[in-house]
Amino acid sequence: MGEVREYGFAALAVAGATLLCFPLSHFWSPANLVMVYVLAVVGVARRGRRSSAAAAAALAVLAFDFCFVPPRYTFQVSDVQYLWTFVVMFSAAMLISHLTIRQHEEAQAARASERRNTWFMEKAKRAEVEAETERLRSSLLSSVSHDLRTPLSAILGSAGALLEKGKVAGDSESRQLLETIQEEGERLSRLVNNLLQVTRLEAGGLALQKEKTPLEEIVGSALERLDSLLKGRRIDVALPENLPLVPMDAMLVEQVFINLLENAARHTPEERPIDISARTEENRVVVSVSDRGPGLQTDETERIFDKFYHGASSPGAGLGLAICRAVVLAHGGRIWAENRPGGGARFQFTLPLL
Amino acid sequence: MNDKTLLVIEDETAILTFLRSSLEKHGWQMLEARTGRLGLELAASKKPDVILLDLGLPDQDGLDVLKAMRQWTSVPVIIVSARGQEYDKVRGLDAGADDYLTKPFGVPELMARLRTALRHAAQKPDDPPPLYDYEGLKVDLIARKVWLKKKEIHLSPLQYDLLGCLVRHAGRVVRQKQLIKEVWGETRDVTPELIRITVHQLRHKIEPDPVRPRCLKTEPGVGYRLEAPEL
Repeated sequence: MGEVREYGFAALAVAGATLLCFPLSHFWSPANLVMVYVLAVVGVARRGRRSSAAAAAALAVLAFDFCFVPPRYTFQVSDVQYLWTFVVMFSAAMLISHLTIRQHEEAQAARASERRNTWFMEKAKRAEVEAETERLRSSLLSSVSHDLRTPLSAILGSAGALLEKGKVAGDSESRQLLETIQEEGERLSRLVNNLLQVTRLEAGGLALQKEKTPLEEIVGSALERLDSLLKGRRIDVALPENLPLVPMDAMLVEQVFINLLENAARHTPEERPIDISARTEENRVVVSVSDRGPGLQTDETERIFDKFYHGASSPGAGLGLAICRAVVLAHGGRIWAENRPGGGARFQFTLPLL
Repeated sequence: MNDKTLLVIEDETAILTFLRSSLEKHGWQMLEARTGRLGLELAASKKPDVILLDLGLPDQDGLDVLKAMRQWTSVPVIIVSARGQEYDKVRGLDAGADDYLTKPFGVPELMARLRTALRHAAQKPDDPPPLYDYEGLKVDLIARKVWLKKKEIHLSPLQYDLLGCLVRHAGRVVRQKQLIKEVWGETRDVTPELIRITVHQLRHKIEPDPVRPRCLKTEPGVGYRLEAPEL
């Protein structure tokens, strides 16, 4: 379509030039009118097409011959000189169009390369900024992780050493104080872990390292890590023997169990048991962690998973359950909370088996 | 166990202080190096029995210190790293560390690691394997027999080989890679899944309460550890 339009434009330009030449032909010799036609051909060439410029040049020669070369209004030529005029006219028109088109193309190429360069530069700049952000984030993470854990290690280690020595810990009040330091230090250490976990999850840099794992192993290592927090508590674990292996990122799902258990322990009086159970349902495993605490208010069963939400009676930072939700969602599962018949809260989550 | 020397390569004063106090009480002499460079020097000149190496040092990467050390000494090295940095631990173990401690750690844990390190360092290749006896589980590698609470139990050959491997490394973390090499042999194509299932089945035979194992512990993200009796 563009092609036809260009030829149309060429014809129009030549027709325009011809119209202009009629009044001029009264004062100028026909040879001078050639310049008007050449101008028209250059105008067509400005549009950048060699084919339409050539057509315009040919048309211009024909129109000039027909309208202004005696005998007028025929294609016949009385003077052989005019044949030379035609050749020079056609050549000049073609040469000027050629130069015009080349200039046009070069300008266009320069513009395109400038655009390309700007695009590359912007892209490079953006990549650089992203890389820098990523570097900053990971170095911040590792330094926070190091800077917070190092003093914690020293505090816990020192309290432990004093407790072990038995000299200071001899009187029961000092012993209790040391135990408090140790317990709270451990809690702080769990909080730091959660904080780092949240930062990692939010950065979106969470690449799941899924491997098929027995749920029992993960529950076991979570219980082991919460050993001192859960000591003296009854934890009933009911995992069916035929439970299949579950594809999961073991470290992250362990964190889910740790957070749910810590949450349950915080809300349940020490003498009441916490239950962990699991069942298979179609192609997923449903895990539940239930307590016999005060339960949940009906309006908080959803909000409880929001970051920084904490219930009226909850002393937590509101990160633990948000992490649970992020991890379970990343696995393609679902997590929800409900009240348990007979009192207490029940947290359930699913992990797909496929 | 008296007069054993531990070289601690660590830059935090507070940690050095508590380690010094605990170690002296347990009959250890402690050497301190606050930089990797000094650590390497002391490791060469003082020939400690065990080295405790923090992976986060001010002057260089702890892993590089470990690699440099492994060029010329096989002294037991225990690396110290934070939780969430399992990848570093795995790389450390691959680079020749004997075991690791996760920050924050307590004195009993440290002492158990040191005892294990010494015991394994003292073991000569042709020594008969010791009898394992802990928390009611008894393993005799020579007679190829296993007892739980004085009752003999029967394991499949694969389960027995796995337990045997863990007993030989008792007290030390054993990586999945190492288990594959020592139990299945390098030529076999073994999935992590198969290891997990075998460990799971073994636990159900040797642990009275498999969800709370006393002997066969999981080290998340790294491997397994058979708890060692205090000798």
